[in-house]
Amino acid sequence: MKFLTKIAFKNLFRHKLRTFISIIAIAFAVMIVVFARGFIVGMIDSVFADQIQYYSGHIKIVDREYQQQERLLPLNYPVDGLAGQGLNEMMDSLKGIENVEMVIPRLKFGAMVSTGNELVAMSGWGVNPIQEFQFTNIEDQLVEGRMFQPGQREVVMGTGLLAKLNHQVGDKVTILSNTAFNSLKGVTFKIVGRLASGLKLLDEIVFYLPLDQAQSWLYMDDQSTELLLVTSNRGLVDQVLPEVKELLASRDAEERYLALGYQETSDLLPYMELAKLIYNQIYIFLVLLASIVVINTMIMIVKERTKEIGMMSALGLESKNILQLFIIEGGIIGIIGSLLGALLGSIINEYFAVTGIDFSSAMAGFSSELVFNSIIYPVSSTANTVFAFILGVIVVTIACMIPARRAAKLEPTEALREI
Amino acid sequence: MSLLELKGIRKVYHQGKIEVPALRGVDLTIEEGEFTTVFGPSGSGKTTLLNMIGCLDKPSSGVITFAGRELGQLSKKDLAMLRRYNVGFVFQSYNLIPVLTAYENVEFAVRLTTKGREKELRERVMAILAAVGLEGLEARKPNELSGGQKQRVAIARALVKEPKLVLADEPSANLDSQTSTEVLEVMVKMNQELGTTFIFSTHDPQVMDYAGRMIEIRDGQISEDKRREGQYVSD
Repeated sequence: MKFLTKIAFKNLFRHKLRTFISIIAIAFAVMIVVFARGFIVGMIDSVFADQIQYYSGHIKIVDREYQQQERLLPLNYPVDGLAGQGLNEMMDSLKGIENVEMVIPRLKFGAMVSTGNELVAMSGWGVNPIQEFQFTNIEDQLVEGRMFQPGQREVVMGTGLLAKLNHQVGDKVTILSNTAFNSLKGVTFKIVGRLASGLKLLDEIVFYLPLDQAQSWLYMDDQSTELLLVTSNRGLVDQVLPEVKELLASRDAEERYLALGYQETSDLLPYMELAKLIYNQIYIFLVLLASIVVINTMIMIVKERTKEIGMMSALGLESKNILQLFIIEGGIIGIIGSLLGALLGSIINEYFAVTGIDFSSAMAGFSSELVFNSIIYPVSSTANTVFAFILGVIVVTIACMIPARRAAKLEPTEALREI
Repeated sequence: MSLLELKGIRKVYHQGKIEVPALRGVDLTIEEGEFTTVFGPSGSGKTTLLNMIGCLDKPSSGVITFAGRELGQLSKKDLAMLRRYNVGFVFQSYNLIPVLTAYENVEFAVRLTTKGREKELRERVMAILAAVGLEGLEARKPNELSGGQKQRVAIARALVKEPKLVLADEPSANLDSQTSTEVLEVMVKMNQELGTTFIFSTHDPQVMDYAGRMIEIRDGQISEDKRREGQYVSD
């Protein structure tokens, strides 16, 4: 076997250009696999993270009626506690459930600003800054100014929204909203920060303000429109959700409140999981496609070395040894090509993991409600690199079985027309 | 004791629907240690006969016995093993592995049969290379060797594993007279010391001079079987 490996390795140098082309074909395919996988994983992780951070938490608790009319952001179906005990008591009870790390209240409401010529519709998110900054990466998206302070009439807006309002950081803006009593009320806030998150929703629709300011403005003290529960990881949702439902039931609130796992809050997420599986099949076909170059090369090699195979057979090499010889030769091409491709793919992923790939212009027509970040950051991971490398080696080696079997099946006299 | 026994060997090749007989009933016995040449015109069936003897091909009918084993009863793997340990081939077109050096080409054959220590293995390969006059050229690849030198590597490869039988197709075709003599002397030495059986396909009178037995093939049959001692067997 050692000697066969030696011959196989030396054989690679017979036609250097041909070997080089085969290696490049495999390297290119494996590089695409590493990049595509990093990109898809990055995109899916981003969709999940955005969905969880800005929409659903790991578990979302809302009033059942609110859920029906969520698009209208109604204020008359708040989350205001269990059995009249108030929001804070409800949050404390939920925090008592094992594996619940945070309970985050959000008060979402519709609002508008007059620019003189037109009314700009917006969505206000009253949040507890400390919790919000812990849970989301919103603070990282701040490109100008600072985040708002609790107790202060301050707002933070997205770049797109500021442009629509023709305002900038430091300006004051008067925002109108319908209160819980259905009365229109305007409050003037100071714009203290500007966001650029890549999420159309946050950049063009939403403005952040302190929860206490939103509650006081909308006459919704000790109330929110939703509660988001955060567990240590999203894999625990299936374990925690039944306990949340049990708590709601024990406090006679299961008919009023709805507790939803993050998977139930978006139609997109199950498809994303499916996409991961489908793409894994596509990667195999991609490498198989590149393997055709290697198969073609190997078929040519078998044809060229027919007499040599006959000679080896005459010397007493068994069919399985000849099979091994060609598989080792193809395998070496697979290993070198896959290694090269995996490394190149990783370097590309490392680069884009920092800079991101901006699809803003391509996604300009997408709905603002879609929680989908237009800047995708591919994930560069050792597991991905190793996966692509192993996939490349296995697929190429298996593909080499075709010409190798052909070589092994040659009868010595067919291969060797003379002795 | 006979090394090879061929009884009623027929071989028919099929070219489409046409049957082409290559051997038409060959009976032949080769004793251990014989130094034999097979000659005859092109297309007479020499190659087919040597293919049969070398366990590379099976007859359409008839029985071949090699060292007491009936070849028709052996599997492909058994035949490969039989060739590996018992038969050495010298091809007219050398059939050396171009990416290996002269040393490695010879080493290849011995590695298939011997699991000895590296030092012993190396000594064995170097000894046979020296015996065929290739001392100092062991690191050269086939494309760096002359035709005669390549032929000597091929001969060394066949002899290094000390097989029972060596089949050689025109072994002296690319050798000058002096080298040819040297190589033939190596073979004779092996024949005498180890009892190795040699069968040559040749037209070279020099090789024929060394042969103890000369077999002529015509139209797929043995037309003459002559022994040097004066025995003469004729169909």
